[in-house]
Amino acid sequence: MSFSEADVQGALKNLIDPNTRKDFASGKVLKNVKIDGNNVSLDIVLGYPAKSVWDEIRAMIEAHLKAALPGSSVSVNVTSKVVQHTVQHGAKLVDGVRNIIAVASGKGGVGKSTTAVNIALALAAEGARVGMLDADIYGPSQPTMLGISGQPATDGEHFMTPMSNYGLQAMSIGFLIASDDTPMIWRGPMVTQALDQLLRQTRWDDLDYLIVDLPPGTGDIQLSLAQQVPLTGAVIVTTPQDIALMDARKGLKMFEKVGVKIVGIVENMSTHICSKCGHEEHIFGSGGGEKMCADYDTEFLGSLPLDIRIREQTDSGKPTVVSDPDGNIAKSYKQIARRIAVKVAEMAQNRTSVFPKVVVQNT
Amino acid sequence: MSAHPTEIKLHQQSRLLEIAFDDDACYQLPYEFLRVSSPSAEVRGHGVGQETLQVGKKNVDILEVLPVGNYAMKIVYDDGHDSGLYTWDYLYNLGKHQAELWQDYLEKLEAAGGSREHGSEPEVKAGGCGSGSGGGCGHH
Ligand SMILES: Nc1ncnc2c1ncn2[C@@H]1O[C@H](COP(=O)(O)OP(=O)(O)O)[C@@H](O)[C@H]1O
Ligand SMILES: [Mg+2]
Repeated sequence: MSFSEADVQGALKNLIDPNTRKDFASGKVLKNVKIDGNNVSLDIVLGYPAKSVWDEIRAMIEAHLKAALPGSSVSVNVTSKVVQHTVQHGAKLVDGVRNIIAVASGKGGVGKSTTAVNIALALAAEGARVGMLDADIYGPSQPTMLGISGQPATDGEHFMTPMSNYGLQAMSIGFLIASDDTPMIWRGPMVTQALDQLLRQTRWDDLDYLIVDLPPGTGDIQLSLAQQVPLTGAVIVTTPQDIALMDARKGLKMFEKVGVKIVGIVENMSTHICSKCGHEEHIFGSGGGEKMCADYDTEFLGSLPLDIRIREQTDSGKPTVVSDPDGNIAKSYKQIARRIAVKVAEMAQNRTSVFPKVVVQNT
Repeated sequence: MSAHPTEIKLHQQSRLLEIAFDDDACYQLPYEFLRVSSPSAEVRGHGVGQETLQVGKKNVDILEVLPVGNYAMKIVYDDGHDSGLYTWDYLYNLGKHQAELWQDYLEKLEAAGGSREHGSEPEVKAGGCGSGSGGGCGHH
């Protein structure tokens, strides 16, 4: 009994990755198929970070192949590799960063920062190298949420070393303004210049994803950031109130206008969970986020309840994904982060950083 | 951002290098045309009027193309020439202005009394793919 590579591919065509909803033979997931008698070995390289499910996927593929190729002995090695994806035209790439994902909202107070930090931590928990750039000049909250204080060290004349906690590399406009300062009066061009420096003069170290907590709204500052920051995509955070949705719609249109892809929408504080009885209620009405996604043909990435634990954990410097990593709320954040990573992996790869394929033909 | 190639095909029989760019442009460049247009200092000299006219390259072959960073490639020809650094922009330009550049070369060749070497009449394909041999790029 002997098998060919085509047999292996044929078998994997019938096995679907539950995360990507695509089979393991298409895409560029299947690599390095080796066949030696009855021994089949292969590598599966997932385009999204998924450390927590590598074993599960390995077992699933091994079982499937053993059944499809009777008599075979199968050994599968599963890893993840996040590649660089294309950004909007005209934006210059940032050293040390493969993908930048903006987290935006039409107005303040919807939970943009809370969502951003928990998504970043969820990606890191899956083994990705993740950074957080807090660009919200109106209310930098990442230092507090990540429990980081102090000032970043300089690296040479022009660079800063990112701060870090919970495995994230972090930089915030908040690290650079003393907290007891009266809020600075920022003017448009000043802001964009300061944020561009914060982005480009930080020595990001080999990041798969840099999550950017953008200032809320759709004004000139937000618009020029949406143009200048080389974004793989944007995630919009909204709450179910109609008013917030109107603002979120504006945010969505702003990104579309400058050619930034929308990864999807997260609905925060969708339901209220009573801290006494645990009863869950749609106090603001239901289905708003889903309706908006349907209207604009974008994905509804998931929702989070209004839950006092989210506020307490995040505001005390230990966001839910690290303080209660196995709880239901962390699970929701992790699912959303997984969806984002899978969608990013499906986006067009940035070919400018790779050499084109060369084919020699006898024609 | 300028165009970046997505695929390069070497048609060894017809001596055509087919290059597809990510803005959907696609060009078929004869090896001879590439060879006589080599951007190397040997060929270009060090300024306008310093060029050394390349002659007798009608049947030149390409042995291999080597990546240089992610912005260019080196072409190794069977006549030993390998010092030309062809950037994506340069190749794009060669493709875009192929007809004029080739005409220009032929005129220079004639003026200098040089030869492409016991050749038949020059056959120039001005367009991109889909015309001439090979039947297009097969991309998209
Ligand atoms: N799902 C939630 N449940 C309870 N409190 C939340 C939730 N999301 C955010 N919060 C809290 O709401 C406040 C505003 O959230 P924040 O993320 O700072 O909003 P934004 O960045 O949009 O201004 C914070 O105190 C935060 O802890
Ligand atoms: Mg905030």
